[in-house]
Amino acid sequence: MSRRRWVPVAAVAMVMALAGAGCGGDDEGGGSEGTSQGSGQSQKSFEAGTTMARIADKGEIRIGVKYDVPPFGFKNPRNNQIEGFDIDFGKAVAQELGVKPTFVEAISDNRIPFITDGTVDLVLSTMTINEERAQEIGFTDPYFIARGRILTKEGSDIKGVDDLAGKKVCTALGSTYEETLKKQAPRADLRLVDTYSECLELIQNGAVDAVSTDDVILTGMIIQDDSLALVPGEELTVEPYGGGFKRGDTKFAEFLNGVLEKYKSDGRWQRAYDKWLGQYTKEEQKPPDATLDQALQGEVT
Amino acid sequence: MFDVLTENFDAFASGLWVTTRLVFASFVVALVLGTVVAALRVAPVRAMQAAGAVYVEIFRNTPLLVLLFISFAGLRRAEVDISAWTAGIASLGVYTSAYVAEALRSGVAAVSRGQIEAGLSLGFSYAAVLRRIVLPQAFRTVIAPLASVTIAMVKNSAIVGASLLALPDLLKEARIVNSNTFQTTEAFFWAAVGYLLLTATATVVFRALESRYAIHR
Repeated sequence: MSRRRWVPVAAVAMVMALAGAGCGGDDEGGGSEGTSQGSGQSQKSFEAGTTMARIADKGEIRIGVKYDVPPFGFKNPRNNQIEGFDIDFGKAVAQELGVKPTFVEAISDNRIPFITDGTVDLVLSTMTINEERAQEIGFTDPYFIARGRILTKEGSDIKGVDDLAGKKVCTALGSTYEETLKKQAPRADLRLVDTYSECLELIQNGAVDAVSTDDVILTGMIIQDDSLALVPGEELTVEPYGGGFKRGDTKFAEFLNGVLEKYKSDGRWQRAYDKWLGQYTKEEQKPPDATLDQALQGEVT
Repeated sequence: MFDVLTENFDAFASGLWVTTRLVFASFVVALVLGTVVAALRVAPVRAMQAAGAVYVEIFRNTPLLVLLFISFAGLRRAEVDISAWTAGIASLGVYTSAYVAEALRSGVAAVSRGQIEAGLSLGFSYAAVLRRIVLPQAFRTVIAPLASVTIAMVKNSAIVGASLLALPDLLKEARIVNSNTFQTTEAFFWAAVGYLLLTATATVVFRALESRYAIHR
């Protein structure tokens, strides 16, 4: 029965190997993601006891982002790096703190718990500012205004939401757009599918005439297929995106809003917009100037 | 419980109607194709047997969801203007026809070889032997297995609605009700009742056929 005696030994060895690998993986993960734009800068000093001081001491800021929402946060299949509009802004925040950014995947379901339990210091993951979420976490001022839009094939005769009557329109089952479309285009023939990639297939093969959801997701479809285009000027909803952090951390909020102000005013916001969105949608957008309060009151236009 | 049904009755009713039409049309397709393929499989010509076997193995061994993707997305990309209805009926029909063919073949196998030889020696053509002697008996012996195939098809029809065909069938309507009301248990309970109505109807019809035509050996 010598085999049996080896089992616990093997198990212990395995646990140790796994634990070792786990530690190594963590360190390496941080290193590979952190293109460390902040390196080369002198250590910045912050008021003791603030979140900024804690992050600066640690030398890294952990930022929760999407991994599957091009062009805001996605894993580039060519180089396996996390890239996008949210990531660029995250790097700007890290640079201001003089630390390296570590990007952690935060899906819609876990991003708020990640903030409250301290897994991440900041979330930048296409998160719409609303009153319900503001009860749980703190928000920055809006750093991007997404809009509910309509996507069609180029040259379509759909010019606005009223033209959707009698047309086949695809959106995700259970999304807010199911309700929005029922209200704003009651005579549209809705095709409800599980994922937006199915909507992309349906509009590409001509089975539906239009897709409606956030312009950010629609832009991702245009990147896949440039024969698709947004219906100009038609906006169904307004979704101001905010960065999320621990509720009540007013010093961190002030700091982040300061970074955002600078990011918007020195042209970096505009460059990121053109790089990730404008070149595909052929549209222009100015940096948002709405405040958090306006976003919470639904006064953003 | 009942308020979810009464408040969303139109949704459930239209979903049930879509599923009923889908199942009925697919059943006709499956029965016709299945009979032809079963005839091929018992034909005296090697090539015909092989063709029948290939058909059965392809469609019985391909997931229905894959057939739906190929028949809809694939054909549309090949510039064939196929509608979601046609693709759904064709896929479910063709998929089920492979099972129908196998059921019928087992029925044919149950008819003794001597009857076929007797028919042929009396000067009937092979097709006439099948049509007049073998298949009528085969259909009688396979009523029970066909009932199982039909019930499986009713339930498989839910895959059509869940696929990218996005047909508003009973399951899809239930999911929409669920996403609007968040009353998950109730929404799917009433969908299950709808499917039960269809399968129970099929059971009753096949029972009646069986008591009338079945051969008891």
